[in-house]
Amino acid sequence: MSEELRTSSIETRGVAGKKRYAMVIDTRRCIGCMACQVACKAEYDTPLGVNRTWVPYKVVGTYPVVKKQFLPRLCNHCDDPPCVRACPVEATYKSDDGGFVLQRYERCIGCRACMASCPYNARFMLPASRTYTKITNVVDKCTFCFHRVAQGLVPACVQTCIGRARVFGDLNDPASEVSYLVARNATQVLRPEQGTKPHVFYIGADRNHTEFGRDIYRRPDVLEGDRAAFQRTRA
Amino acid sequence: MGDYVVFHDVAWHGVYALYFFLIGISAALYFFSALSFYREEFKPLRATSFYGAFALLAVAGLILVGDLSQPLRFVNTLNPGYWNMSSPLVWGTILIVLYGLVSVWYFLKLGDEKAAKLPAVIGAVIALGLPIYTGFDLAVHQARPVWNTPLMPVLFVALSLVSGAAVASFLAKGEARLLGALRQIMLWTTGATAVMVLSLLITTAYGGSSDELTYMFMTSGTIGGIFVGLGILGGTAVPLVLLLLPFGKERAGLLLSSVLILVGGLSLRYSILMGPQIVQTFFS
Repeated sequence: MSEELRTSSIETRGVAGKKRYAMVIDTRRCIGCMACQVACKAEYDTPLGVNRTWVPYKVVGTYPVVKKQFLPRLCNHCDDPPCVRACPVEATYKSDDGGFVLQRYERCIGCRACMASCPYNARFMLPASRTYTKITNVVDKCTFCFHRVAQGLVPACVQTCIGRARVFGDLNDPASEVSYLVARNATQVLRPEQGTKPHVFYIGADRNHTEFGRDIYRRPDVLEGDRAAFQRTRA
Repeated sequence: MGDYVVFHDVAWHGVYALYFFLIGISAALYFFSALSFYREEFKPLRATSFYGAFALLAVAGLILVGDLSQPLRFVNTLNPGYWNMSSPLVWGTILIVLYGLVSVWYFLKLGDEKAAKLPAVIGAVIALGLPIYTGFDLAVHQARPVWNTPLMPVLFVALSLVSGAAVASFLAKGEARLLGALRQIMLWTTGATAVMVLSLLITTAYGGSSDELTYMFMTSGTIGGIFVGLGILGGTAVPLVLLLLPFGKERAGLLLSSVLILVGGLSLRYSILMGPQIVQTFFS
Protein backbone atom coordinates (compact mmCIF):
# COMPACT_ATOMS: atom_id res chain seq x y z
CA MET A 1 0.00 0.00 0.00
CA SER A 2 1.34 3.38 -0.88
CA GLU A 3 2.22 5.90 1.80
CA GLU A 4 -0.62 8.20 0.72
CA LEU A 5 -3.25 5.54 1.35
CA ARG A 6 -1.95 4.65 4.81
CA THR A 7 -4.16 6.79 6.98
CA SER A 8 -3.53 5.38 10.42
CA SER A 9 -0.31 4.92 12.39
CA ILE A 10 -1.57 1.49 13.49
CA GLU A 11 -1.24 0.10 9.95
CA THR A 12 1.73 -2.14 9.17
CA ARG A 13 1.09 -3.20 5.58
CA GLY A 14 4.10 -2.31 3.52
CA VAL A 15 6.10 -1.05 6.51
CA ALA A 16 9.73 -2.03 6.05
CA GLY A 17 11.13 -4.40 8.64
CA LYS A 18 7.71 -5.51 9.88
CA LYS A 19 5.68 -8.60 9.13
CA ARG A 20 2.08 -8.29 8.00
CA TYR A 21 0.43 -11.69 8.05
CA ALA A 22 -2.53 -12.32 5.81
CA MET A 23 -4.65 -15.18 4.56
CA VAL A 24 -5.70 -15.81 0.99
CA ILE A 25 -8.78 -17.97 0.55
CA ASP A 26 -9.32 -19.44 -2.89
CA THR A 27 -13.03 -20.22 -2.85
CA ARG A 28 -12.67 -22.21 -6.09
CA ARG A 29 -10.72 -24.75 -4.07
CA CYS A 30 -13.09 -24.90 -1.09
CA ILE A 31 -15.22 -28.06 -1.08
CA GLY A 32 -17.16 -27.22 2.09
CA CYS A 33 -15.78 -30.13 4.13
CA MET A 34 -15.71 -27.91 7.26
CA ALA A 35 -12.41 -29.47 8.32
CA CYS A 36 -11.06 -25.96 9.02
CA GLN A 37 -13.95 -25.30 11.38
CA VAL A 38 -13.38 -28.61 13.16
CA ALA A 39 -9.61 -28.08 13.39
CA CYS A 40 -10.20 -24.65 14.90
CA LYS A 41 -12.72 -26.05 17.39
CA ALA A 42 -10.20 -28.72 18.41
CA GLU A 43 -7.32 -26.24 18.68
CA TYR A 44 -9.19 -23.87 20.98
CA ASP A 45 -11.97 -25.91 22.62
CA THR A 46 -14.39 -23.40 21.10
CA PRO A 47 -17.82 -24.07 22.65
CA LEU A 48 -20.98 -25.01 20.79
CA GLY A 49 -22.85 -22.13 19.18
CA VAL A 50 -19.81 -19.90 18.63
CA ASN A 51 -16.99 -20.12 16.10
CA ARG A 52 -13.62 -18.53 15.45
CA THR A 53 -13.90 -19.66 11.85
CA TRP A 54 -16.93 -20.88 10.00
CA VAL A 55 -17.93 -21.76 6.46
CA PRO A 56 -21.34 -20.39 5.49
CA TYR A 57 -22.79 -21.63 2.23
CA LYS A 58 -25.52 -20.47 -0.05
CA VAL A 59 -27.25 -22.47 -2.72
CA VAL A 60 -27.24 -20.29 -5.81
CA GLY A 61 -29.27 -20.82 -8.97
CA THR A 62 -32.33 -22.87 -9.85
CA TYR A 63 -32.35 -26.65 -10.39
CA PRO A 64 -30.68 -28.11 -12.40
CA VAL A 65 -28.27 -25.15 -12.69
CA VAL A 66 -27.29 -24.83 -9.05
CA LYS A 67 -24.14 -24.50 -7.00
CA LYS A 68 -23.29 -24.42 -3.33
CA GLN A 69 -21.15 -21.34 -2.81
CA PHE A 70 -18.85 -21.45 0.22
CA LEU A 71 -17.18 -18.51 1.88
CA PRO A 72 -14.79 -19.51 4.69
CA ARG A 73 -14.97 -16.81 7.34
CA LEU A 74 -12.74 -15.68 10.19
CA CYS A 75 -11.46 -12.48 11.77
CA ASN A 76 -10.05 -10.29 9.02
CA HIS A 77 -7.18 -9.03 11.20
CA CYS A 78 -7.80 -5.59 9.80
CA ASP A 79 -4.94 -3.15 9.41
CA ASP A 80 -7.20 -0.48 10.92
CA PRO A 81 -9.41 -2.57 13.22
CA PRO A 82 -12.54 -0.87 14.61
CA CYS A 83 -12.62 -3.33 17.52
CA VAL A 84 -9.27 -2.04 18.81
CA ARG A 85 -10.60 1.49 18.61
CA ALA A 86 -13.79 0.56 20.46
CA CYS A 87 -12.36 -1.38 23.40
CA PRO A 88 -12.38 0.89 26.48
CA VAL A 89 -9.62 -0.96 28.36
CA GLU A 90 -7.29 -2.00 25.53
CA ALA A 91 -8.23 -5.63 26.08
CA THR A 92 -8.09 -6.01 22.33
CA TYR A 93 -5.01 -4.79 20.54
CA LYS A 94 -3.07 -5.17 17.34
CA SER A 95 0.40 -6.64 17.52
CA ASP A 96 2.95 -4.27 16.09
CA ASP A 97 4.85 -6.96 14.23
CA GLY A 98 2.66 -9.37 12.33
CA GLY A 99 -0.59 -7.43 12.44
CA PHE A 100 -2.43 -10.00 14.60
CA VAL A 101 -5.52 -8.58 16.29
CA LEU A 102 -5.46 -10.24 19.69
CA GLN A 103 -7.37 -10.33 22.95
CA ARG A 104 -6.18 -9.95 26.55
CA TYR A 105 -8.71 -12.24 28.23
CA GLU A 106 -7.75 -11.23 31.76
CA ARG A 107 -8.47 -7.59 31.01
CA CYS A 108 -11.71 -7.92 28.99
CA ILE A 109 -14.69 -6.55 30.93
CA GLY A 110 -17.28 -8.05 28.60
CA CYS A 111 -18.84 -4.75 27.47
CA ARG A 112 -19.14 -6.15 23.91
CA ALA A 113 -18.19 -2.82 22.29
CA CYS A 114 -15.75 -4.74 20.06
CA MET A 115 -18.56 -7.04 18.93
CA ALA A 116 -20.73 -4.03 18.12
CA SER A 117 -17.96 -2.44 16.08
CA CYS A 118 -16.94 -5.48 14.00
CA PRO A 119 -18.46 -5.36 10.51
CA TYR A 120 -17.72 -9.08 10.03
CA ASN A 121 -19.39 -10.74 13.04
CA ALA A 122 -15.98 -12.20 13.84
CA ARG A 123 -16.28 -11.75 17.60
CA PHE A 124 -18.38 -13.65 20.09
CA MET A 125 -18.98 -13.96 23.81
CA LEU A 126 -17.67 -17.13 25.42
CA PRO A 127 -20.27 -18.94 27.55
CA ALA A 128 -20.07 -19.22 31.33
CA SER A 129 -18.86 -22.81 31.33
CA ARG A 130 -16.52 -24.76 29.08
CA THR A 131 -15.31 -28.33 29.07
CA TYR A 132 -11.54 -27.98 29.29
CA THR A 133 -10.73 -24.28 29.25
CA LYS A 134 -11.11 -21.83 32.09
CA ILE A 135 -11.45 -18.71 29.93
CA THR A 136 -15.17 -17.87 30.12
CA ASN A 137 -17.52 -14.87 29.89
CA VAL A 138 -15.15 -12.76 27.82
CA VAL A 139 -15.10 -11.90 24.14
CA ASP A 140 -13.12 -14.22 21.91
CA LYS A 141 -12.13 -14.33 18.26
CA CYS A 142 -9.75 -15.85 15.74
CA THR A 143 -6.10 -15.07 16.54
CA PHE A 144 -4.64 -16.21 13.20
CA CYS A 145 -3.25 -18.97 15.48
CA PHE A 146 -0.70 -16.54 16.90
CA HIS A 147 0.75 -19.26 19.16
CA ARG A 148 1.36 -21.57 16.19
CA VAL A 149 2.70 -18.87 13.88
CA ALA A 150 5.14 -17.77 16.61
CA GLN A 151 6.56 -21.31 16.45
CA GLY A 152 6.87 -21.30 12.68
CA LEU A 153 3.66 -23.22 12.03
CA VAL A 154 0.66 -22.13 9.97
CA PRO A 155 -2.81 -21.68 11.52
CA ALA A 156 -4.73 -24.87 12.29
CA CYS A 157 -7.34 -24.17 9.61
CA VAL A 158 -4.63 -23.72 6.96
CA GLN A 159 -2.80 -26.85 8.08
CA THR A 160 -5.92 -28.97 7.77
CA CYS A 161 -7.41 -27.58 4.55
CA ILE A 162 -7.58 -30.53 2.17
CA GLY A 163 -7.94 -28.41 -0.98
CA ARG A 164 -5.29 -25.81 -0.03
CA ALA A 165 -8.03 -23.24 -0.26
CA ARG A 166 -6.47 -21.35 2.65
CA VAL A 167 -2.96 -19.98 2.28
CA PHE A 168 -1.23 -18.04 5.04
CA GLY A 169 1.89 -15.90 5.03
CA ASP A 170 3.61 -12.56 5.30
CA LEU A 171 2.23 -10.06 2.83
CA ASN A 172 5.17 -7.73 3.46
CA ASP A 173 7.47 -10.43 2.06
CA PRO A 174 7.25 -10.20 -1.75
CA ALA A 175 8.52 -13.77 -2.04
CA SER A 176 5.71 -15.27 0.09
CA GLU A 177 2.94 -17.36 -1.42
CA VAL A 178 0.26 -14.93 -0.24
CA SER A 179 2.06 -12.04 -1.95
CA TYR A 180 2.21 -14.10 -5.14
CA LEU A 181 -1.48 -15.00 -4.97
CA VAL A 182 -2.58 -11.44 -4.23
CA ALA A 183 -0.39 -10.15 -7.07
CA ARG A 184 -1.42 -12.71 -9.68
CA ASN A 185 -5.14 -13.08 -8.98
CA ALA A 186 -8.13 -10.82 -8.83
CA THR A 187 -8.82 -10.73 -5.11
CA GLN A 188 -11.38 -9.04 -2.95
CA VAL A 189 -11.86 -8.31 0.72
CA LEU A 190 -15.11 -8.18 2.66
CA ARG A 191 -16.83 -4.83 3.08
CA PRO A 192 -13.90 -2.70 1.86
CA GLU A 193 -16.07 0.40 2.13
CA GLN A 194 -15.76 0.22 5.91
CA GLY A 195 -12.15 1.32 5.69
CA THR A 196 -10.93 -1.48 7.94
CA LYS A 197 -8.36 -2.77 5.42
CA PRO A 198 -9.01 -6.47 6.01
CA HIS A 199 -6.18 -8.98 5.62
CA VAL A 200 -8.18 -11.97 4.52
CA PHE A 201 -8.25 -11.93 0.72
CA TYR A 202 -10.70 -13.94 -1.32
CA ILE A 203 -10.29 -15.31 -4.80
CA GLY A 204 -13.60 -16.01 -6.49
CA ALA A 205 -15.87 -14.98 -3.61
CA ASP A 206 -19.53 -15.04 -4.55
CA ARG A 207 -21.44 -11.79 -4.20
CA ASN A 208 -24.35 -13.68 -2.60
CA HIS A 209 -22.08 -13.94 0.44
CA THR A 210 -20.21 -10.67 0.32
CA GLU A 211 -23.24 -8.43 0.00
CA PHE A 212 -26.23 -8.01 2.26
CA GLY A 213 -28.35 -10.28 0.10
CA ARG A 214 -31.97 -9.86 -0.74
CA ASP A 215 -32.56 -13.37 0.60
CA ILE A 216 -32.97 -11.68 3.97
CA TYR A 217 -36.45 -10.90 2.65
CA ARG A 218 -37.02 -14.60 1.93
CA ARG A 219 -35.97 -16.38 5.06
CA PRO A 220 -36.91 -20.07 5.15
CA ASP A 221 -39.08 -21.01 8.14
CA VAL A 222 -36.77 -23.85 9.10
CA LEU A 223 -33.85 -21.46 9.48
CA GLU A 224 -35.96 -18.93 11.37
CA GLY A 225 -36.89 -21.66 13.85
CA ASP A 226 -33.20 -22.46 14.34
CA ARG A 227 -32.35 -18.77 14.61
CA ALA A 228 -35.00 -18.24 17.27
CA ALA A 229 -33.68 -21.25 19.21
CA PHE A 230 -30.13 -19.86 18.98
CA GLN A 231 -31.26 -16.45 20.22
CA ARG A 232 -33.04 -18.03 23.17
CA THR A 233 -29.74 -19.56 24.27
CA ARG A 234 -28.05 -16.14 24.04
CA ALA A 235 -30.70 -14.16 25.90
CA MET B 1 -31.40 -27.53 5.05
CA GLY B 2 -30.04 -25.66 8.00
CA ASP B 3 -26.97 -27.86 8.52
CA TYR B 4 -23.78 -25.95 9.26
CA VAL B 5 -25.65 -22.67 9.40
CA VAL B 6 -23.93 -20.33 11.84
CA PHE B 7 -26.02 -17.67 13.56
CA HIS B 8 -24.68 -14.47 15.06
CA ASP B 9 -25.78 -12.70 18.19
CA VAL B 10 -26.38 -8.99 18.67
CA ALA B 11 -23.70 -7.34 20.79
CA TRP B 12 -25.86 -5.12 22.98
CA HIS B 13 -29.18 -6.42 24.26
CA GLY B 14 -32.26 -4.46 25.32
CA VAL B 15 -31.02 -3.71 28.83
CA TYR B 16 -28.56 -1.25 27.31
CA ALA B 17 -31.51 0.78 26.02
CA LEU B 18 -32.85 0.89 29.58
CA TYR B 19 -29.47 2.28 30.69
CA PHE B 20 -29.64 4.96 27.98
CA PHE B 21 -33.16 5.82 29.15
CA LEU B 22 -32.37 6.09 32.86
CA ILE B 23 -29.06 7.93 32.53
CA GLY B 24 -30.72 10.38 30.12
CA ILE B 25 -33.50 11.10 32.64
CA SER B 26 -30.93 11.44 35.43
CA ALA B 27 -28.93 13.97 33.42
CA ALA B 28 -32.00 16.05 32.58
CA LEU B 29 -33.26 16.05 36.18
CA TYR B 30 -29.89 17.30 37.39
CA PHE B 31 -30.01 19.96 34.69
CA PHE B 32 -33.45 21.11 35.88
CA SER B 33 -32.21 21.22 39.45
CA ALA B 34 -29.34 23.47 38.37
CA LEU B 35 -31.76 25.56 36.30
CA SER B 36 -33.55 26.48 39.53
CA PHE B 37 -30.67 28.87 40.30
CA TYR B 38 -31.52 30.89 37.20
CA ARG B 39 -35.26 30.37 36.71
CA GLU B 40 -37.54 31.00 39.68
CA GLU B 41 -40.26 28.59 38.51
CA PHE B 42 -37.87 25.63 38.73
CA LYS B 43 -37.10 26.25 42.40
CA PRO B 44 -39.67 23.71 43.70
CA LEU B 45 -37.82 21.08 41.67
CA ARG B 46 -34.33 21.78 43.05
CA ALA B 47 -34.15 19.13 45.75
CA THR B 48 -36.60 16.54 44.42
CA SER B 49 -35.21 16.43 40.90
CA PHE B 50 -31.66 16.21 42.26
CA TYR B 51 -32.61 13.25 44.49
CA GLY B 52 -34.29 11.64 41.49
CA ALA B 53 -31.19 12.23 39.37
CA PHE B 54 -28.95 10.72 42.01
CA ALA B 55 -31.17 7.67 42.52
CA LEU B 56 -31.35 7.08 38.77
CA LEU B 57 -27.58 7.45 38.47
CA ALA B 58 -27.18 4.69 41.04
CA VAL B 59 -29.71 2.43 39.29
CA ALA B 60 -28.29 3.12 35.80
CA GLY B 61 -24.76 2.50 37.06
CA LEU B 62 -25.77 -0.84 38.53
CA ILE B 63 -27.51 -1.79 35.27
CA LEU B 64 -24.41 -0.86 33.27
CA VAL B 65 -22.07 -2.83 35.51
CA GLY B 66 -24.51 -5.74 35.76
CA ASP B 67 -24.71 -5.95 31.97
CA LEU B 68 -20.97 -6.62 31.71
CA SER B 69 -20.18 -10.30 31.36
CA GLN B 70 -17.43 -9.67 33.93
CA PRO B 71 -19.15 -7.22 36.30
CA LEU B 72 -16.34 -7.06 38.87
CA ARG B 73 -13.91 -6.00 36.17
CA PHE B 74 -15.69 -2.66 35.91
CA VAL B 75 -12.74 -1.53 38.06
CA ASN B 76 -10.61 -1.94 34.92
CA THR B 77 -12.49 0.98 33.42
CA LEU B 78 -11.40 3.13 36.37
CA ASN B 79 -7.72 2.40 35.78
CA PRO B 80 -6.22 5.25 33.70
CA GLY B 81 -3.41 2.88 32.70
CA TYR B 82 -5.93 0.83 30.75
CA TRP B 83 -7.87 3.71 29.20
CA ASN B 84 -8.25 3.72 25.45
CA MET B 85 -9.30 7.30 24.81
CA SER B 86 -10.60 6.51 21.32
CA SER B 87 -13.45 4.55 22.90
CA PRO B 88 -16.56 6.55 23.90
CA LEU B 89 -17.04 4.07 26.74
CA VAL B 90 -14.01 5.63 28.42
CA TRP B 91 -15.48 9.10 27.97
CA GLY B 92 -18.62 7.72 29.61
CA THR B 93 -16.69 6.23 32.51
CA ILE B 94 -14.94 9.54 33.20
CA LEU B 95 -18.21 11.48 32.92
CA ILE B 96 -20.14 9.10 35.18
CA VAL B 97 -17.44 9.17 37.86
CA LEU B 98 -17.23 12.97 37.72
CA TYR B 99 -21.02 13.20 37.72
CA GLY B 100 -21.20 11.01 40.83
CA LEU B 101 -18.53 13.02 42.66
CA VAL B 102 -20.08 16.39 41.79
CA SER B 103 -23.50 15.02 42.83
CA VAL B 104 -22.11 14.23 46.29
CA TRP B 105 -20.61 17.72 46.46
CA TYR B 106 -23.96 19.22 45.43
CA PHE B 107 -25.79 17.07 47.98
CA LEU B 108 -23.55 18.34 50.79
CA LYS B 109 -24.16 21.97 49.80
CA LEU B 110 -27.82 21.67 48.81
CA GLY B 111 -29.10 23.64 51.79
CA ASP B 112 -26.78 26.59 51.08
CA GLU B 113 -28.09 28.74 48.21
CA LYS B 114 -24.72 30.34 47.45
CA ALA B 115 -22.44 27.34 47.89
CA ALA B 116 -24.72 24.95 45.98
CA LYS B 117 -24.70 26.98 42.78
CA LEU B 118 -21.19 26.01 41.69
CA PRO B 119 -21.62 22.20 41.96
CA ALA B 120 -25.05 22.60 40.36
CA VAL B 121 -23.63 24.33 37.29
CA ILE B 122 -20.56 22.06 36.97
CA GLY B 123 -22.77 18.99 37.43
CA ALA B 124 -25.23 20.23 34.81
CA VAL B 125 -22.44 20.63 32.25
CA ILE B 126 -21.17 17.12 33.03
CA ALA B 127 -24.75 15.80 32.92
CA LEU B 128 -25.13 17.23 29.42
CA GLY B 129 -22.13 15.09 28.45
CA LEU B 130 -23.94 11.88 29.42
CA PRO B 131 -26.50 11.76 26.57
CA ILE B 132 -23.81 13.09 24.22
CA TYR B 133 -21.47 10.24 25.06
CA THR B 134 -24.26 7.64 24.80
CA GLY B 135 -24.99 9.01 21.33
CA PHE B 136 -21.34 8.67 20.37
CA ASP B 137 -21.37 5.16 21.88
CA LEU B 138 -23.49 4.23 18.88
CA ALA B 139 -22.31 6.79 16.33
CA VAL B 140 -18.69 5.62 16.22
CA HIS B 141 -19.56 2.18 14.82
CA GLN B 142 -19.08 2.88 11.13
CA ALA B 143 -20.63 -0.38 9.95
CA ARG B 144 -24.05 0.23 11.51
CA PRO B 145 -26.67 2.19 9.59
CA VAL B 146 -28.73 4.63 11.72
CA TRP B 147 -26.08 4.58 14.48
CA ASN B 148 -23.29 6.00 12.33
CA THR B 149 -24.83 9.43 11.87
CA PRO B 150 -23.92 12.79 13.41
CA LEU B 151 -27.53 13.01 14.59
CA MET B 152 -27.08 10.42 17.34
CA PRO B 153 -25.52 12.60 20.08
CA VAL B 154 -28.00 15.43 19.36
CA LEU B 155 -30.94 13.03 19.28
CA PHE B 156 -29.88 11.56 22.63
CA VAL B 157 -29.67 15.05 24.15
CA ALA B 158 -33.20 15.78 22.92
CA LEU B 159 -34.47 12.41 24.19
CA SER B 160 -32.78 13.04 27.53
CA LEU B 161 -34.41 16.45 27.95
CA VAL B 162 -37.86 15.31 26.88
CA SER B 163 -37.82 12.18 29.07
CA GLY B 164 -36.43 14.18 32.00
CA ALA B 165 -39.10 16.86 31.60
CA ALA B 166 -41.76 14.13 31.53
CA VAL B 167 -40.50 12.73 34.85
CA ALA B 168 -40.14 16.25 36.28
CA SER B 169 -43.80 16.97 35.49
CA PHE B 170 -44.71 14.25 38.01
CA LEU B 171 -42.38 15.79 40.59
CA ALA B 172 -43.84 19.30 40.04
CA LYS B 173 -46.79 18.64 42.38
CA GLY B 174 -49.14 20.80 40.35
CA GLU B 175 -47.06 24.00 40.40
CA ALA B 176 -48.69 25.84 37.50
CA ARG B 177 -45.69 27.96 36.40
CA LEU B 178 -43.33 25.01 36.60
CA LEU B 179 -45.71 22.79 34.63
CA GLY B 180 -45.98 25.52 32.02
CA ALA B 181 -42.19 25.69 31.67
CA LEU B 182 -41.92 21.89 31.50
CA ARG B 183 -44.64 21.84 28.85
CA GLN B 184 -42.59 24.26 26.76
CA ILE B 185 -39.48 22.07 27.12
CA MET B 186 -41.45 18.94 26.21
CA LEU B 187 -43.06 20.64 23.25
CA TRP B 188 -39.79 21.86 21.74
CA THR B 189 -37.74 18.75 22.44
CA THR B 190 -40.50 16.42 21.22
CA GLY B 191 -40.65 18.51 18.06
CA ALA B 192 -36.87 18.32 17.68
CA THR B 193 -36.98 14.55 18.25
CA ALA B 194 -39.69 14.20 15.60
CA VAL B 195 -37.62 16.15 13.06
CA MET B 196 -34.49 14.11 13.78
CA VAL B 197 -36.26 10.74 13.69
CA LEU B 198 -37.94 11.71 10.42
CA SER B 199 -34.58 12.73 9.01
CA LEU B 200 -33.07 9.43 10.15
CA LEU B 201 -35.88 7.48 8.53
CA ILE B 202 -35.54 9.26 5.21
CA THR B 203 -31.75 9.01 4.99
CA THR B 204 -31.90 5.35 6.00
CA ALA B 205 -34.61 4.55 3.45
CA TYR B 206 -32.53 6.17 0.70
CA GLY B 207 -29.23 4.60 1.82
CA GLY B 208 -27.26 1.62 0.57
CA SER B 209 -28.15 -2.05 0.86
CA SER B 210 -27.58 -2.42 4.62
CA ASP B 211 -29.43 0.87 5.22
CA GLU B 212 -32.32 -0.35 3.12
CA LEU B 213 -32.53 -3.58 5.15
CA THR B 214 -32.24 -1.66 8.41
CA TYR B 215 -35.12 0.53 7.30
CA MET B 216 -37.14 -2.59 6.54
CA PHE B 217 -36.43 -4.08 9.99
CA MET B 218 -37.19 -0.83 11.77
CA THR B 219 -40.50 -0.27 10.03
CA SER B 220 -41.94 -3.79 10.01
CA GLY B 221 -42.42 -6.70 12.38
CA THR B 222 -41.82 -6.42 16.12
CA ILE B 223 -39.12 -3.74 15.97
CA GLY B 224 -41.34 -1.80 13.53
CA GLY B 225 -44.21 -1.93 16.04
CA ILE B 226 -41.95 -0.60 18.77
CA PHE B 227 -40.21 2.02 16.62
CA VAL B 228 -43.08 3.34 14.53
CA GLY B 229 -46.04 2.41 16.73
CA LEU B 230 -44.79 3.21 20.24
CA GLY B 231 -41.80 5.41 19.48
CA ILE B 232 -42.90 7.68 16.64
CA LEU B 233 -46.70 7.65 16.71
CA GLY B 234 -47.61 6.91 20.34
CA GLY B 235 -44.56 8.45 21.97
CA THR B 236 -43.78 11.45 19.75
CA ALA B 237 -46.62 12.45 17.41
CA VAL B 238 -49.55 11.95 19.81
CA PRO B 239 -47.97 13.81 22.77
CA LEU B 240 -46.87 16.57 20.39
CA VAL B 241 -50.47 17.06 19.28
CA LEU B 242 -51.74 16.74 22.85
CA LEU B 243 -49.33 19.40 24.09
CA LEU B 244 -50.45 21.77 21.35
CA LEU B 245 -54.12 21.34 22.23
CA PRO B 246 -55.75 23.32 25.08
CA PHE B 247 -56.04 19.97 26.95
CA GLY B 248 -52.24 19.76 26.93
CA LYS B 249 -52.07 22.91 29.02
CA GLU B 250 -54.11 21.29 31.79
CA ARG B 251 -52.35 19.14 34.35
CA ALA B 252 -54.14 15.95 33.24
CA GLY B 253 -53.21 16.53 29.61
CA LEU B 254 -49.61 17.26 30.51
CA LEU B 255 -49.28 14.15 32.66
CA LEU B 256 -50.88 12.01 29.96
CA SER B 257 -48.38 13.44 27.47
CA SER B 258 -45.58 12.71 29.93
CA VAL B 259 -46.56 9.05 30.19
CA LEU B 260 -46.69 8.73 26.40
CA ILE B 261 -43.34 10.53 26.06
CA LEU B 262 -41.70 8.15 28.53
CA VAL B 263 -43.05 5.10 26.69
CA GLY B 264 -41.90 6.67 23.41
CA GLY B 265 -38.46 7.57 24.75
CA LEU B 266 -37.76 4.03 25.86
CA SER B 267 -39.18 2.58 22.63
CA LEU B 268 -37.11 4.86 20.39
CA ARG B 269 -33.92 4.07 22.28
CA TYR B 270 -34.68 0.32 22.20
CA SER B 271 -35.46 0.16 18.49
CA ILE B 272 -32.54 2.41 17.50
CA LEU B 273 -30.28 0.15 19.55
CA MET B 274 -31.61 -3.16 18.25
CA GLY B 275 -32.65 -2.52 14.62
CA PRO B 276 -29.19 -2.01 13.07
CA GLN B 277 -27.76 -4.85 15.12
CA ILE B 278 -30.34 -7.36 13.92
CA VAL B 279 -29.49 -6.56 10.31
CA GLN B 280 -25.81 -7.13 11.03
CA THR B 281 -26.50 -10.67 12.30
CA PHE B 282 -27.57 -11.58 8.76
CA PHE B 283 -24.17 -10.81 7.23
CA SER B 284 -22.66 -14.22 6.30
